[in-house]
Amino acid sequence: MKRIQWNRKILLLIPFFLIAAMFLIIPMVMMVTSSFTSEATGAFTLDNYKEVLTNPFYTQAFMNSGLISIFSSVTGLVLAILVSYAMTNLPDKVQDKLTVYINVAANFAGVPLAFAFIILLGNSGVFRLFLDNLEWPLLNNFDLYSWQGLAITYLYFQIPLGILFIYPSLKKIRKEWKEAAFMLGATNWIYWRKVGLPSIMPSIAGTFVIMFANGMGTYETAYALTGSNVNLVTIRIAALVSGDIYARPIIGSTLAVLFAVIMIVILFVSQMLLKRVRRDLA
Amino acid sequence: MRTKKRHYSTYIIMALFGFYMVFPFVSTGLYATSTEWSNSILPRDFTVQWFAELMKDPAFISAVMRSIVLTFTTLAVVLVIMVPTVFIVYMYFPRVDQFMKGLVLMPYAIPGVILATGLLRMYSGSLIPMFAVLVGGLFIGSLPFMYQGVRNSLESIQTKNLMEAADLLGASKFIAFVKIILPNIKLGLLITTLLIFSSFFGEFVLTNLLIGGNYETIRIYMLRRMNENGHLASAVMVAYFILLILISLLITYMTSNKRRKNLRKKGEPLTEMDEAEVLLPPTEDSLTN
Repeated sequence: MKRIQWNRKILLLIPFFLIAAMFLIIPMVMMVTSSFTSEATGAFTLDNYKEVLTNPFYTQAFMNSGLISIFSSVTGLVLAILVSYAMTNLPDKVQDKLTVYINVAANFAGVPLAFAFIILLGNSGVFRLFLDNLEWPLLNNFDLYSWQGLAITYLYFQIPLGILFIYPSLKKIRKEWKEAAFMLGATNWIYWRKVGLPSIMPSIAGTFVIMFANGMGTYETAYALTGSNVNLVTIRIAALVSGDIYARPIIGSTLAVLFAVIMIVILFVSQMLLKRVRRDLA
Repeated sequence: MRTKKRHYSTYIIMALFGFYMVFPFVSTGLYATSTEWSNSILPRDFTVQWFAELMKDPAFISAVMRSIVLTFTTLAVVLVIMVPTVFIVYMYFPRVDQFMKGLVLMPYAIPGVILATGLLRMYSGSLIPMFAVLVGGLFIGSLPFMYQGVRNSLESIQTKNLMEAADLLGASKFIAFVKIILPNIKLGLLITTLLIFSSFFGEFVLTNLLIGGNYETIRIYMLRRMNENGHLASAVMVAYFILLILISLLITYMTSNKRRKNLRKKGEPLTEMDEAEVLLPPTEDSLTN
């Protein structure tokens, strides 16, 4: 009797696992195997990896993606902490509403975001023409369609993403800790250095990793803004697997596998480290 | 003295941040409603000509229709499969549940471009229509978000206790799920549904890479017009956001109407959901950018 019940529950899970297998697991396995097959003969080979790792064009793509992700996540993180801290000083009701709006903002990315910045800062952007009129050379060295533009647009969705993780952990800091610290003669600065920051450090580190990964995986915003002006991994992969003229799906798969492996290692190691830090704190 | 000072800086920071966040929205709106806007702080006129032009473009209308068809097909598949799955896993398979928790990080390790690469490897040139592959890909992309949302809802109403009580009173598991669990997690489901809806409606990466030119959704249409006429493209974006808000309101309205009726019938308050808890963490982000 019990056995039959159990079986029926398993049956109900079949659609889910079928879809997961068809659209996630098997495609990923095929991607990995095809990265080990020769473009010419279809036999097993390591040449694709050799090509990708020695071709400066591809290694540069990884470098560029990494640099922009690091810049946007470090800057975004600092600003996110600042804003989250300011938020905790607002009335409670406002705070609750704000988190909902910030969630919306975190999802305002891609084509509309790129375009909004083009209107403002692009070659004939309103803001640029306005400054030209005043003859302020503020934006003369600024090129929106380059990594500079990417940095600014990435920040736009990285900051809200950071806030969504940092803000809840800031809220967990107890008022009593602060009171106790002040009672014992700590200044605001010492309190934050010795108590406040260490207690949110794990979540800051975790948020940084998520923001970095988010920056690495960004495609739509970069594509809409720069086309293929800037050599990023995601743009390279997309061009290799879907381009009409330069399509080389096997090399694309190789890059994709490398990308996924790097991200999984980073996420895995950071999770392990975080677990250890949390245990130390507890 | 000190607290007062801190308050000033709080409002300055929030104002600057708010300005930065709202700026792109406002400028797109202004650009969409002006015939020409250059070298002045605000545009000099107001017009709806771009919207009129947009409505006359059959490609725009069909792009919207395609987005709607794609969104609601996928949404239906996701809801029908995921809600029972998460429920069963949460109730009866704690080990699978542990494993599924790891899913939340998946979109960061395998963002849209990577998933599309795998899907293209497997299905391009196969018998399975690319539209079905796209639906499957979107399903996978929404997994972490859906799982998190449904699971948080189940946890917040103490599903395990409810199911036990129903069992004691002689209800079958199926009846208990349909009559007790579903009505109670409706609010949480609604919030999750709305967030997933907006990510599907604005989907670009998978659609563009998998079927791109053959299935022009609203975001792809947007990108095409962007390179032709800035004002018109702004109008597309404003129309897109208005549609997004309208459909979200419609979904909310339809479900909340039923909820009120249910409430009156039973005469008991629904478990209040912690909205923020359902909304976090925002894994959906990687789907849209």
